Amino acid sequence: MLKATLSNLRAHKWRLLLTGLAVMLGVAFMSGSFVLGDTIRSTFDDLFEDANAGTDAVVRSSEVVSAAFAGDQRGQLDASVLDDVLAVDGVEDAVGAVVGFAQYVDDEGEPVGDPGQGAPTFGFNWTDNTDLNPYILVDDGVSRGPSAPDEVVVDKSTADAQDFAVGEQVTILTQQGSVVQMVVGLATFGVEDASLGASAAFFATETAQTLVGTPGKFETVSVVGDDDLDQRELAARIAVALPADTEVLTGAEFIEQSQDQVGQALQFISIFFLVFVAISLFVGTFVIYNSFSIIIAQRTRETALLRAIGASQGQVIWSVLLEAVLLGIVAGAVGLVAGIGVAIGLQALLSAFGLDIPASGLSIKPRTVVWSIIVGVVVTSVSAVIPAWRASRIPPLAAIRNVAQDSSGRSVVRAAIGAAVLTLGIVAILGGLFGDDDTVNPLILVGIGVLVTYIALFVLGPLIARPVSRFIGAPLPALRGVAGTLARENASRNPKRTAATAAALMVGVSLVAFITIFASSTKASIEEAVDEAFQGDFLIDSGAFGFGGLSPVLATELNALDEVEAAAGIRFGVAELDGSETFLFGGDAAGLNEILDVGPTDGSLDLAVDEIAVRRDLAEDRGYQIGQAIPVRFVDSDTNALTIAAIYTDDANFLGNYFLGLEAYEANYLENFDTQVIIDIDNDVDVDQARAAVELVADQYPNGTVLDQIDIKEQQAGQIDPILNIIFALLGLAILIALLGITNTLALSIFERSRELGLLRAVGMTRRQLRSTIRWESVITALLGTALGIVVGLFFGWVLVRALDSQGLTVFRIPWTALIVITVLSAIIGVLAAIGPARRASKLVILDAIAM
Amino acid sequence: MTTPVAPPPPGAPVAGSTIAARAVNAAKIYGSGDAAVRALDGVSVDFETARFTAIMGPSGSGKSTLMHVIAGLDDLSSGEVFIGDINLATLNEKQLTTLRRDRIGFVFQAFNLVPTLTAIENINLPTALAGRKPDQEWVDRVVATVGLGDRLTHRPSELSGGQQQRVAVARALASRPSIIFADEPTGNVDSTTGAEILQFMRHAVDQLGQTIVMVTHDPVAAGYADRIVFLADGNVVGEMLEPTAERVLDQMKSIGN
Repeated sequence: MLKATLSNLRAHKWRLLLTGLAVMLGVAFMSGSFVLGDTIRSTFDDLFEDANAGTDAVVRSSEVVSAAFAGDQRGQLDASVLDDVLAVDGVEDAVGAVVGFAQYVDDEGEPVGDPGQGAPTFGFNWTDNTDLNPYILVDDGVSRGPSAPDEVVVDKSTADAQDFAVGEQVTILTQQGSVVQMVVGLATFGVEDASLGASAAFFATETAQTLVGTPGKFETVSVVGDDDLDQRELAARIAVALPADTEVLTGAEFIEQSQDQVGQALQFISIFFLVFVAISLFVGTFVIYNSFSIIIAQRTRETALLRAIGASQGQVIWSVLLEAVLLGIVAGAVGLVAGIGVAIGLQALLSAFGLDIPASGLSIKPRTVVWSIIVGVVVTSVSAVIPAWRASRIPPLAAIRNVAQDSSGRSVVRAAIGAAVLTLGIVAILGGLFGDDDTVNPLILVGIGVLVTYIALFVLGPLIARPVSRFIGAPLPALRGVAGTLARENASRNPKRTAATAAALMVGVSLVAFITIFASSTKASIEEAVDEAFQGDFLIDSGAFGFGGLSPVLATELNALDEVEAAAGIRFGVAELDGSETFLFGGDAAGLNEILDVGPTDGSLDLAVDEIAVRRDLAEDRGYQIGQAIPVRFVDSDTNALTIAAIYTDDANFLGNYFLGLEAYEANYLENFDTQVIIDIDNDVDVDQARAAVELVADQYPNGTVLDQIDIKEQQAGQIDPILNIIFALLGLAILIALLGITNTLALSIFERSRELGLLRAVGMTRRQLRSTIRWESVITALLGTALGIVVGLFFGWVLVRALDSQGLTVFRIPWTALIVITVLSAIIGVLAAIGPARRASKLVILDAIAM
Repeated sequence: MTTPVAPPPPGAPVAGSTIAARAVNAAKIYGSGDAAVRALDGVSVDFETARFTAIMGPSGSGKSTLMHVIAGLDDLSSGEVFIGDINLATLNEKQLTTLRRDRIGFVFQAFNLVPTLTAIENINLPTALAGRKPDQEWVDRVVATVGLGDRLTHRPSELSGGQQQRVAVARALASRPSIIFADEPTGNVDSTTGAEILQFMRHAVDQLGQTIVMVTHDPVAAGYADRIVFLADGNVVGEMLEPTAERVLDQMKSIGN
């Protein structure tokens, strides 16, 4: 039996190879993500090691708040801590570090880099202590550290890219507005200058504290101990000398923590990629299932013969599964190798977003290899189970005469099971989206529901394949004559097979359609929100959330303009509020209410320094009342409670869940940046004149963009597009696999139909007509999958939008143009999938075909 | 009895000659050197218009190969073949295909029909491939001749073997080709049905003026022909006019030795 299996494999290796390609692609993507993730992780690990190689201990505040997606916010140290540390026996040297936001401005006045979406733009203080400073001055004979307040050292990458040189002046945006500094030196991060695209500006320590940090405060104190002193011993000695609310870590501990933090962030990206890997593999199972089904059908005679001479049903099943396993191993191995190529490709993709990762040393861990093979084998085997079972059901009699096989798929049982499973799937999705969160993780429930729905549609597919494909192909006989008639008939002659082939594309198209519909609805909802709630005339947006932004001086300067009636900034911050680490906004609430419309409000928005305002949805959730005090914790202050003074409605979600007045924000945060500034102009002034005046002021703050209401809608909507494009690119793999599935099915069925095709050629069908027939058959199949996919995508989109209604997704908008484009593209996919098989068919030698 | 009607061919008229197709020193060699097989070893033969000619011979005699090369399904190693005045060697692949479509009709031993098309669609297939509308009067006449009137909308899977062959014959007639080639047309059906098919073919030659060349190994079938050409080892070894089944059997015995 084993021999028969292996000889089968060898004889039909091309058929199987094309089948295995589907799994290989999914595995390649997976191994590529792993390799890339591991490489990035190890690069960062090395980065932190290098940066802190000479550091024996690190002192920092123990006050920290970490909110999701906003990173850790930690308190600052008093400068006196530095003196305390220097006094400890065993400390050779200690330096206070200032870290903050500083963004270069290029020759044309545009900001350099995009910290909101790419690598950060740092401002530091400079130290000449080479043990503690990971940056090294360039050995050009002129570079030195900054000493005067107007001096700066620039990182070499930025200097090279922007043409900054020693002796020139450069403009830098800081919390205090923009400053002009003299470049006195260039520095590289380590010997290789591997700073991953982050820019750095170094000032003298006091200057740094003023511009980018807080006067009299340090972010951390880094310590070099005596050579013969163990790091832990050093840390212990320092700990004794420290004031309350500070802590000390050994150099090794600090490195490890930094590495772990990056590791967690990377894990999120990793999971994002793996979701798409899972989708691709899921689509791959459809292709494998279909291919194996066809191959089994074509081997009916051989299999029946084996059964006739004594092979048991079990042996037949094992034989097929063995083929699947062997194919899976090969596909997994090839996928692994291809994945390494993919990793290099993904690297380039990230590079385009400003995150440069050095290509040296791709990190290929054993788990990548193991998972590649396992996934390849599992996916292929699982997909082959049902075909294997079917193979075992072939009666031995089929070796002698044609035993009729039902290819229509019409059965009441199928309809019943399919309907039942579909109902389960939909219930799971709805339950996850609209039910309460307590019992089961809603995300998992929705995920399972989606999977089950796809499987249900796969089961129901054959029932609708024939009528739908006849409908789609209806115009063909008129358009293409006999070729068209044949194409239409061929597409509907085997509904089970057509449905299975189209299913793979259905999954891919449904996801694309869903994302498109969701994005369109999101944009429409934003537009509606801005229309309803934004009463101001202009918005200046910095695009930064939590790292840097617009100097508050901007809002002040704008208020001084005659043309401006009121200008108010909105600030962003992280804090622990009523037990949960979350984020809040701050600013002049009463003033903002004039310009935005935060809806019916209880209480007063004139917030005092010990007061806070909350959003109505949240207040109802938690039972908040006006006058109630909630516990709070800020890293930069000692405040431990705030009183709720106002509850606002804010349907458009401009102010977030929690809002502090200006005084309260300034009292509790050391760093003060405006994320946005909203402007209301004097009604008597001409709009264009006002805009010109505003832009004149705003030009001094190049990292802010002046937007009017139309611009706002475009910009908000535009922020969605890059994410959309990445998702489309990632879904592209699933679509490619589906395309392969169609090609594979076509190739296999042409092989099956050789005699018929030979006959057609003999009675006078030209090669061109034959290719046309096959092409249109492919297009019908592709469009079948697309039609189903769009219906499913519409359903998913509608359901999700309804579920997120309370989060601001108020409008369900169907992007008709996009859907038409998707349909046209699918037809093109059908054409592309048919190219290979059609060419193969047209090369048939007639005599060989009809003599078969 | 109706007068025989010579069918006007859809292509250019066969200029004045009564030869529908011919081979001149046709040779077909497979393989090379020591392993070379001369399937046809310089065969010259004419096929007259409006005649029923049979080609007979044992296995390996080259009878099927001869039919294939004259019908444009295979190429020659040397020599020439003509359909009417057209030398097939001068045609490219597309032209050959068009020739098969418009000027030649085929009846194979089995698998003659496209399973996804109905009987009438199969009958009109060559015409439809050419993008032309069928000549309804002629098609009706052909359908009446083979007696398929009530089965026209059925698919091949719903027809018996004999009915399928009748559809194949109807198709071959419907496009009014210059010549019809039949390869063992009765090989797969029972003797009664076989006799019916042969009678249709006879009728087509006598009443409709069709030209038919049939390859067969069955003496009974050959008995329906006006002339038999005998092949052995790639060469013409004999000819018989106005054959009967008994005379054919005798001839074959002598060839076989």
